[in-house]
Amino acid sequence: MMTERLVVDFAPMEGAVLRMLGLVERRGFRVSGIGMTERPCGKQASLELDVVARDAGRRIEVLGLQLRRLHGVSDVTHAPPCVRERAA
Amino acid sequence: MHATASSIHSLPHQAETVTGARLVVEALEREGVRHVFGYPGGAIMPVYDALPGSSLTHILVRHEQAAALAADAYGRLTGKPGVCLATSGPGATNLVTGIANAFLDSVPMVAITGQVAAPLIGTDAFQEVDIFGITLPIVKHSYLIRNTEDIPAVFAEAFALAQSGRPGPVLIDLPKDVGQRRVQVESNFQPPVMPGHAPPDAKAIARANRLIREARRPVLYFGGGVAIARAERELAAFAERTGMPSVATLKGLGGVPTDAADFLGMLGMHGTRAANTAIDGCDLLVCVGARFDDRATGKLDTFAPGAKVVHVDGDPAEIGKLRRADVGLAGDLCAILDRLNAVPADIADWRALCAGQKAEWQARYDAPGTGIYAPALLKQLSEQAGDDLIITCDVGQHQMWVAQHCRFTRPQAHLTSAGLGTMGYGIPAGIGALLAEPGSTVLTVTGDGSIMMNIHELATIRRYRLPLKILLLDNSALGMVRQWQELFFDGNFSEVDLYDNPDFADVARAFGIEAFTIDRRAEVPAAIERLLGTEGPIFCHARIDPRENVWPLVPPNSSNMNMMESKP
Repeated sequence: MMTERLVVDFAPMEGAVLRMLGLVERRGFRVSGIGMTERPCGKQASLELDVVARDAGRRIEVLGLQLRRLHGVSDVTHAPPCVRERAA
Repeated sequence: MHATASSIHSLPHQAETVTGARLVVEALEREGVRHVFGYPGGAIMPVYDALPGSSLTHILVRHEQAAALAADAYGRLTGKPGVCLATSGPGATNLVTGIANAFLDSVPMVAITGQVAAPLIGTDAFQEVDIFGITLPIVKHSYLIRNTEDIPAVFAEAFALAQSGRPGPVLIDLPKDVGQRRVQVESNFQPPVMPGHAPPDAKAIARANRLIREARRPVLYFGGGVAIARAERELAAFAERTGMPSVATLKGLGGVPTDAADFLGMLGMHGTRAANTAIDGCDLLVCVGARFDDRATGKLDTFAPGAKVVHVDGDPAEIGKLRRADVGLAGDLCAILDRLNAVPADIADWRALCAGQKAEWQARYDAPGTGIYAPALLKQLSEQAGDDLIITCDVGQHQMWVAQHCRFTRPQAHLTSAGLGTMGYGIPAGIGALLAEPGSTVLTVTGDGSIMMNIHELATIRRYRLPLKILLLDNSALGMVRQWQELFFDGNFSEVDLYDNPDFADVARAFGIEAFTIDRRAEVPAAIERLLGTEGPIFCHARIDPRENVWPLVPPNSSNMNMMESKP
């Protein structure tokens, strides 16, 4: 299965990261990489998640929508593979 | 905590000093809460100390699970969050099943748990459990309040969240010292405003209307999202306008009256042959507020194999989750259904075919013998009770018989644990229903397995003199499991025999509830009269044939077209 990257902008309230990681795993993806940056104001943060679907029935677009509906998540973007390769 | 509303500040001028627990009670009053279902204990005692004198009516259940399940039913009927309250540790963990039930069925709920004092959190203190962490996967959101000043904003946000968009349970964990501390609070609190649905996508609406216009064999497939959006009127208008034959999920039943001519029944594992056959043959599936759940679709890649799909849902994350939609419409169901105004060109032959199949394959009630035939009893009872009746169900064979044989004219009249399948839901849900709609006739249909999960709630019914009608269908077995062992495990019956059940009528009477037992078909008419005619709580214990099965049945992981009508 291909590794996909999601970038999640969110409010770093208590439990937020755990909630997102739990959702990703529960919805049938394995987390293969993770990075987080918090803005100086402490009210916004960004989580980069590299994820791998556990079976062919799992779609990254649906996972993105499921993350997006969490309270405190303001945006979820799916970085296309080519962009990630360039960045690497 | 993070709140969309401005936080409460300590302002010495024009401010008063109150405890956190008082702020909790005031927050509940501000939200218009009338009933709170709960059970006191150590860490939540400050809140219980603040309850007397408030406008809230506390309903003391006998187990916290029942508090959450009653709050669930209350939320389904009112559309506002049902509220349950428990202490830390076991009180909180006992709520978990009810919270999960609300999550799986998208029910608005606010669950409040006491927590050990903040300095003790993480020290394995007495009755400390990380309920915030335990419930993370089964809540829409959760809070652990660390500052007393945050209480008003957290509660306002929690209530707004629980009932906005796709509803769900929100947990608020309140450390004991946070509830005890006195603070000065501003009096002009501003509640948060949650974003509403975006207007329907005009291009997608146009595409959907074109598909509807071009369809020759369309089917309307609707689910629990209709009740959540209170979109019954718009759904019925759409069904009538288009003339589409319709089918419902378990939670959708009543979205279109079950006795409507073009309604073909429930689809799926225990659906009607007419519904599953129509789905199999349709060329357009208009899915409204349903989510292609496995119990509805059977083997997914065999479901509606020749159909294009228009998927309408309040939750964008449901569109295309399991079945690709040719047109996805996320947003307000009422607004979307109003704008789906195209009419299929000519579906008279299709409608006639579906109607003919419905007539040909309708359920029969002429079972041989003199014993009580549960489907017939339920049909008679439901018809005699009329539109005023609300049925709360437990889980098992009786749940499916209710879905198959009772009539519903609104989805809120059928309260059932669909997603989680919680045995023990029925009686607490009946309690919640009676408090939410005190003028209604409420009937709990339960089984001898399910009733024992929350039988202690008979004490709650008695305490509050709730006129709940209870019909226990007793087959002295875990009937649905027994049926599956018979059909799919070579008749290897394992731990399903409940031969040693107590005398349930005696048990009910011991709780102070009028009760009687029937076991012959000839007794059914009088039993129905007594159930419906008794003003207070009444308990009918009906002994039924332990060998009776629920038909039709689609075997697990099979196409819905592989319906079994009897044991092979």
